Amino acid sequence: MRLIIRDDPTAVGSYIANYICKRINDFGPTAEKPFVLGLPTGSSPIPTYKALIKLVKEGKLSFKNVVTFNMDEYVGLPRDHTESYHTFMFREFFSHSKSPFDIPPSQVNILDGNAEDLIAECNAYEKRIKGYGGIELFLGGIGEDGHIAFNEPGSSLASRTRIKTLAYDTILANARFFNNDISAVPRMALTVGVATVLDSREVVVVVTGQRKALALSKAIGTSQPDCTSATKADQSCFILTEEGVNHLWTLSALQLHPWALIVVDEDATAELHVKTVKYFKSIEFVQDQVEKSQRDLKARGKITEEQVGSME
Amino acid sequence: MTSPNGLICFTNCLLPQEDGSLIEKDLWIDETRGVILDAQKTFFLRRNRPERIIDLGGNILSPGFLDLQLNGGYGFDFSVFEGDEEAYKQGLIMVAERIIETGVTSLVPTVITQERSLYPKILSLLQPFQTEKSAAFLGWHAEGPFIEHSKRGIHADSYLLSATEGTKTFEEIYGADNIAHQEDWIMGNEQAAAVRIITAAPETLGVMDAIKNLSRHGIVFSIGHSTATTEVATDAVRCGAKLITHLFNAMPQLHHRDPSIIGLLGASPHISPFPDSGQLSPVFNPAIGVTEEPASIMDSMSPPQTPISAITQSGSSTPTSVSSHKSRKSLHLEKGQIADMEFERPYFGIIVDGIHCHPNSVRLAYSAHPEGCILITDAMKILDPHLKDGAYEWRDGQRYVKEGDRLYLEGTDTLAGSVVTLDKCVRNFSRFTGCSFGEAIKCATYNPAKCLGIENKKGTLRPGADADLVVLSRQGRVLSTWVKGKQAFVKA
Repeated sequence: MRLIIRDDPTAVGSYIANYICKRINDFGPTAEKPFVLGLPTGSSPIPTYKALIKLVKEGKLSFKNVVTFNMDEYVGLPRDHTESYHTFMFREFFSHSKSPFDIPPSQVNILDGNAEDLIAECNAYEKRIKGYGGIELFLGGIGEDGHIAFNEPGSSLASRTRIKTLAYDTILANARFFNNDISAVPRMALTVGVATVLDSREVVVVVTGQRKALALSKAIGTSQPDCTSATKADQSCFILTEEGVNHLWTLSALQLHPWALIVVDEDATAELHVKTVKYFKSIEFVQDQVEKSQRDLKARGKITEEQVGSME
Repeated sequence: MTSPNGLICFTNCLLPQEDGSLIEKDLWIDETRGVILDAQKTFFLRRNRPERIIDLGGNILSPGFLDLQLNGGYGFDFSVFEGDEEAYKQGLIMVAERIIETGVTSLVPTVITQERSLYPKILSLLQPFQTEKSAAFLGWHAEGPFIEHSKRGIHADSYLLSATEGTKTFEEIYGADNIAHQEDWIMGNEQAAAVRIITAAPETLGVMDAIKNLSRHGIVFSIGHSTATTEVATDAVRCGAKLITHLFNAMPQLHHRDPSIIGLLGASPHISPFPDSGQLSPVFNPAIGVTEEPASIMDSMSPPQTPISAITQSGSSTPTSVSSHKSRKSLHLEKGQIADMEFERPYFGIIVDGIHCHPNSVRLAYSAHPEGCILITDAMKILDPHLKDGAYEWRDGQRYVKEGDRLYLEGTDTLAGSVVTLDKCVRNFSRFTGCSFGEAIKCATYNPAKCLGIENKKGTLRPGADADLVVLSRQGRVLSTWVKGKQAFVKA
């Protein structure tokens, strides 16, 4: 797992947008073989969406052959309610494309929280994802309690798309979007499962703000005294052995993923140890070096396979 | 140029909202059906998105303007019929097609006082219509003949009438067939008879009766060319009058002891709620004291011994619809909450050419009742933004003189209507009152549409409304005008 640290949410947004842009363009999607992208809602990804829209506007990126799957949607909230995730996605992203060749509505998938048979809706969703050959890159955000999508603390790490009851913490946190009226906040949501996210080829998670700092530290693990005293030579051990994978912080499941990237701002690192932060900053440098040499090798025809994976 | 799938997205623009704000947002329209779309529904349910995108470069995309009072333009006078039906119809079409350069996409053409035999003919020719490239005629504004002699302005004295038989006289003069019925109107019946607005003086014999009856049909009664006292003006509103014609003009000036028609803008929650309550209204009796005001008589919970409730019993015509608007019995404690009124204050048309009303008066009126403010031009046939100053023929051998936005009868200082365009009124209004441009736009779009009860179709950017649009620069200049989803005018 890689952790990229940037100064502020805007810088985080543009880092991720550039990253996704590069991935899509390297992938070279076509109508037959589209790039399948998982998308989140919430305040954290907004700067990313803004930066993506800018790239589309500048002609550097097109969503014409991109298929999107959203992570979740409330149950029972009208589709055009101001707080529904349909409304969010339309307002923050889909309505904005400035080019006539942008994402065709038929390639946008969002769970229907008003479906008559919710279970069938979830199963069909998983099936649709599989139909496209799985998700290429899943962009995610996390909640203050470390949930990814609506996989609240305690969710099975093997979970699939399903109906989920929201944790009281989440309901409280979301009440601000419903005139602070807790009773108006939906109690249930449809969400992709932890395993659905882990199944994707690559996962990128955006974490910004001090309120998410604890969740971040729980998810990636922090150094503890006994570990640092162990083997200085193997620095990576203390990163991934702390806290470990824990179903109470579902984002931590990312530690099991071979190609995961977390992009955070300085505020979100508040609960991490200084050396953890330094360590991840050094990884970024090494990764850049490796990618550069890989590119060179490829350019010289030394390798033909697309390299998948990241430095750890 | 059209869109391959018939949908257009306007982007990079500011959209005026019904609350007077301007927000940066895209607008989707269906050019084939000529309506504004619910973009999100179109995307998720119809699985469609516009294939034509129009970048408005940061300009303002407003609903087209509505002018509720326009006498003519480009040399054609709605009030002059010379016996040639075809020529008259061509004149209407010409005005409707040219007026869109001023941002107006809907208008209620106005006929001033006529010789009585002419009414049925003219009004029957003035059915609602709209061509592919024209503003929509929404029906008629009949200004006169039931108006007050001393406030007639340029209306011909000899043609003025009183309604000796009340509503019946109105039907005789305008022709019963010409009086609009709201249902037809709302159903968009093209053939609907079409007197939409009547300006009359409520103190004129029989007018109050007509206000009561015709308002129920959905006709907007407008108080104007009148010397009504405060009492009469208030009763007219209770009976259903909804509008004031060219505020400040052709009416008594604001007198603090009898504020008359203008005073309706400041109608106090203190005044009596009952129609036909001559002896009650407006009771200002220091002996009674504030907490015992007659407003409490609306409250059925008042104890029987409440002095004025005795009179209430006789007020058999108590409107039931106002029960939800009960005035508060005692001094209330909610800051910023004005005590409820027993009736809605009327809308008011105001000519913001800088001549018919001083900018201070405009601001005073707007501050008093912003939700009721409607910008009108009251423009005459010589309205034509391209016309030079000078003396021009009017009618009956009279001539008028145009000097900038000033228009008066030759040899007099009597103002003869205006020559201002509505887009200029909007710009003036924003300057005169200091309100934002979005709030000024509201007074030429949403407010007049609401007054006519068509705010779901016109004067708004709601999904389902007609795609009658005007693109304005940040300085308020008309750049282009769209009618029913198609561009009909572009500034050269």
